[in-house]
Amino acid sequence: MTLLLRPKDCPKRLDPKSLEPEHLDREPPRRHAWVLLPLLALIWLPSALAAQQVIVNPEVDVSALDRNRARLIFTMRINQWRDQQPVTVFVLPDDASLHQRFAKSALQVYPYQLRRTWDRQVFSGTGQAPLQVADEEEMIERVRQTAGAIGYISDQRAAAGVKVIEVR
Amino acid sequence: MRPLAVIAATLAVLIARTAVAGEHNGNVQLHGFASQGAVQTSANRFYGDSPDTSFDFTEIGLNASWRLSPQLLLAGQVLSRRAGDMSDGSPELDFALADITLSSGDTHRAGLRLGRMKNRLGLYNETRDVPFTRPSIFLPQVVYFDKVRNLVLSTDGAQLYADSYQPFGTLSATLATGLPVIDENVEAALLVGDLPGEIEHRENSWLASLWYHSPAERIKLGISGVTMALQQDWNLTPATPTVDLVYWIASAQYNGPNWTFSAEYMGLPGRWRDYAPARMDRNQTSEGYYGQLTYRLSPPLELMLRYEEGFADRDDRDGSEIQRLTLGMVPSRASASRILSLGLRWDISRQWMLRAEYQRHNGNFILSELENPDFQRFEKHWDLFAVQAAFRF
Repeated sequence: MTLLLRPKDCPKRLDPKSLEPEHLDREPPRRHAWVLLPLLALIWLPSALAAQQVIVNPEVDVSALDRNRARLIFTMRINQWRDQQPVTVFVLPDDASLHQRFAKSALQVYPYQLRRTWDRQVFSGTGQAPLQVADEEEMIERVRQTAGAIGYISDQRAAAGVKVIEVR
Repeated sequence: MRPLAVIAATLAVLIARTAVAGEHNGNVQLHGFASQGAVQTSANRFYGDSPDTSFDFTEIGLNASWRLSPQLLLAGQVLSRRAGDMSDGSPELDFALADITLSSGDTHRAGLRLGRMKNRLGLYNETRDVPFTRPSIFLPQVVYFDKVRNLVLSTDGAQLYADSYQPFGTLSATLATGLPVIDENVEAALLVGDLPGEIEHRENSWLASLWYHSPAERIKLGISGVTMALQQDWNLTPATPTVDLVYWIASAQYNGPNWTFSAEYMGLPGRWRDYAPARMDRNQTSEGYYGQLTYRLSPPLELMLRYEEGFADRDDRDGSEIQRLTLGMVPSRASASRILSLGLRWDISRQWMLRAEYQRHNGNFILSELENPDFQRFEKHWDLFAVQAAFRF
């Protein structure tokens, strides 16, 4: 992370030009920037790293999913695990920020595309919609209790009684 | 009424089953929607008496599905749709089907659907009566005619489907056959007016579709079509009059973070035979196409801009030939439509949606003959303004 946080404009060697008066005049703001950077990083890090954990019922015999397969499961196109057990998909409401981040970063689709896919299946009789839960507590509870269940929570939350799997 | 009784009984059983069997919770799903629209036009009737503001535009749907196993899904929907003189709102069985997965795995899924199915035609036909799934209050009429929607809406029969999931995207194919579900709008539009007898199917229809979408569905491409063989059951002439049609759509869509661009082309070649002396034998190809941009301003608001053109006869785009052949009975302006549409969608909540739409029309091709029986009264240049409120659960 320290590499990422180093400002790109920070000279590694002393540039002779920086000794010219106008550059010397700029020194105070640059020092300010150095002070601000760790602070900015503190504000920036939690939101950037507030990723999601994909969770499954502990009985589900899976430790990782590739992104394509995760997408097929959450768009309700694959409805069985490899051992033939039925999949039950739980999601948060469309407007939940965790749902939107999960769609964009874990599945790499836009939330409106998920809604459109589910609606097309439901209203043409070719599939069902995922089950919607109100919040993360209910998500954990339902995934823990439902055989073959899959869902997601933020990584700030302890995945008690459920199994966290990797999406790559 | 019999299909209705069947679906009502099925729904009752499904509901009872959910209530009784706690362990099946989640396998039965109920969904529904209702909408009410208001339409005003500067001239010409569209969805009722629109010059005087029409409220004859109501959609109500109730939908149930029951997943008995990963391999078997039962689903049905009852639809009531009031649309001016085109549809009176009496409840209809929209679809009722069994979806049987014959084979599935990491990279594919294939199966069979039996019953009444919505036709997989273009981007929107399958869910064309569900307001939330449409890009606008009215679908692009040059491709998805509401004046003859029943011609291509659904089929009673069987469908084979196959999806292949590949790293480069998903390929989906369907092949179906069965009887088209047709009504009096079909006759009015295909034969321009009311003739003795009824129009009915002569042979099974065949439907096929092939779709590709990229892994994250940024790009979606498809081609889909149906062939129909119809006849008029009159006893006026020794030969039975026939109509043969092919309706096909090429579709393309790009989905970006805030905007979606869609374009489709529709071709409808037709052949009319043995309607003499009421109508002449003829071959004619109708066509229509549109480009459409939807832009999500900020989460609850979405803008829509669309331009479309459609022609009753691609070889007579200005309609001069049909006007000459019918001695002016069918005016040239009835054979083409050019429409510019602007819409705003506001998703107030997960359940409620409000929409407003403005359209500028040049031509009368998309207007229903049932709603506008006197072609001489067509106004070529007209405006449409509509609002719609919709609810879902």
